[in-house]
Amino acid sequence: MTGDSPSPRAADRFVRALAGVLLAVIGISMAASLRPREIARRWRLLDRSLSGAPISAGEGTRFWFDPAYAEFLEDLRRRVPPDATVAVLVPRVPDTYAYAAVYELAPRRVVDGARVSEADYVATYRTEPRPMGDPIAQGTLWRR
Amino acid sequence: MTMAVALLRMWLALAATGAVGWSMLRLFGGGLTRMERTAWSLALGLLAQSAVFAAWRLAAGGAGAGRILFGDALVVAASLVLRRPWADRSARRRNPEDLRAAVVVLAVVAATAWALFLVQAVAEPMWATDHLAIWGLKGRLAFLAPALRQRLFLDPALAWSHPEYPLLVPLSLAAFAGLVGAWNDQALALLWPACELATLLALAGFLARRVARSAGAGAAALAALCFPLYGALNVGTAEVPLALAFVLVCCALLDVLESDSSERLARLAAASLFCVSVKQEGSAFVLFAAAVLYVRLRRAPDRSWRAGAGALLVPLAVHWGLLRLVTGPQARRDFDFALLLPHRWPALPARAATVISRLVGTEAVAALVPLLAIAGYLLVTRRGIGDSLWPVFAAQLGCYALAFTLSAFGPNFAIDSAFRRLVLTLFPSFTLLLLARVPLGSGVTHTGRPPSVVPPNPEGMAL
Repeated sequence: MTGDSPSPRAADRFVRALAGVLLAVIGISMAASLRPREIARRWRLLDRSLSGAPISAGEGTRFWFDPAYAEFLEDLRRRVPPDATVAVLVPRVPDTYAYAAVYELAPRRVVDGARVSEADYVATYRTEPRPMGDPIAQGTLWRR
Repeated sequence: MTMAVALLRMWLALAATGAVGWSMLRLFGGGLTRMERTAWSLALGLLAQSAVFAAWRLAAGGAGAGRILFGDALVVAASLVLRRPWADRSARRRNPEDLRAAVVVLAVVAATAWALFLVQAVAEPMWATDHLAIWGLKGRLAFLAPALRQRLFLDPALAWSHPEYPLLVPLSLAAFAGLVGAWNDQALALLWPACELATLLALAGFLARRVARSAGAGAAALAALCFPLYGALNVGTAEVPLALAFVLVCCALLDVLESDSSERLARLAAASLFCVSVKQEGSAFVLFAAAVLYVRLRRAPDRSWRAGAGALLVPLAVHWGLLRLVTGPQARRDFDFALLLPHRWPALPARAATVISRLVGTEAVAALVPLLAIAGYLLVTRRGIGDSLWPVFAAQLGCYALAFTLSAFGPNFAIDSAFRRLVLTLFPSFTLLLLARVPLGSGVTHTGRPPSVVPPNPEGMAL
């Protein structure tokens, strides 16, 4: 080995450090999507959950599109028997209205407005025209 | 039931699942590190737990904690009764130059990132759209609804919930709900941090065994920092379990490429079954893995590709047959397969061009910094044991591009709604390829020879 050229050991160390830096760049690029405020908010929600306090629909994310909709579904769950079919008339957009209804009301069979003839109950959310039946939280419920 | 009690029960349910998986792994887990054993235990436990739940649903219409634990006990007893037919005691590579300080720092990074995902996962009830519309919905129906087949697969009102999708995630959720005693969305969300932990442990353990501890810790840290995957948006969906499945398939395949003992082949089969049971993309990954195994081994002296290919493809075929039996014929609403008919071929080039231009012009540009860093990393590192898997990843991305081209909703909509999610699911297993190339600070490198013909190196020194 001559004195002019760097030792293989030093070159090896440099390449290894460069590889480490490049891996760090990949990691930092990935981690950049982290939102500390969002983590802090979720930490507070978790802390409250563990202490027994319920999380309201407005605080959570499931009903981000319309927190009042949670009240409607909760009331429906209380009133409609688990083995019934219920037609839920809700806005078409966003589609999470329909998905949340089917999920929250399971095991009840939930159908949309096109299948009202298959339903034992028809529930209409407050945003929809021509509500039928008795008033419930944020809407109406009609037993067919 | 309070949230604290539900969380505690879910921890215990996960521990029971791990114990079931551990007992099964006893039969074919020889040579694995403790970290790998923990990861495999969760995957095997989830397979067993969902099978136990499904069996009880079929036999008795439902399953509570007592029945599931009884089924678990039978699985554990059967595993203990069976004699270990094989004893793979492959030498673990120990590297004296491994940087202990770097390992500690990287482990702390991984643990911190995992803790952040844990907080995000259980802070509130699961809310991801795919959870409400697909995975969680099916789990709730499996747990709560009578006439399950009618509701899951035959109800026209739920045609949008993808009745054709694999069922491991919904059945696991239903089994855990049975063990917890109620469907508690927050407690059940613990499954996702558990899957992430298993993924990180599998990466760290495999690379520690085959390359160096620092490489394992590096891969675990890098994967854990993938917050777009390990974030609240993916809690309740199949992406995080699928990332674990990809890692397990990669690890098992690399072990089989090195030598195909019966234990390694059994692990490959288990990884294949887990992968295809989580999500449809898992089947494509397994098919490409089988193709790579065939190409690597077909000319290797004293090796046969048939056993490895069988270990990958038989579980895929069995799963496909069972799913088809249960679901019946189902339309694949996401794809317009009529595009493959000759009279529609003229539409394909324009669609393919749209896909390529979106992937290269928009998606790749948006990820330019990490992509350049990856390219630079590949330039300054030498081949590693994971390099045999590059074609699997390339083919998987090609498969996604083809799927976007055939999307029934148009290529742009499909790319916008799915591409990043799909790529992120591959990222943890991709870190295995990256970190296998240069064991940081260890001096261990591979010369580029296929792993199947790399001679044993018990000293752990540079090959």
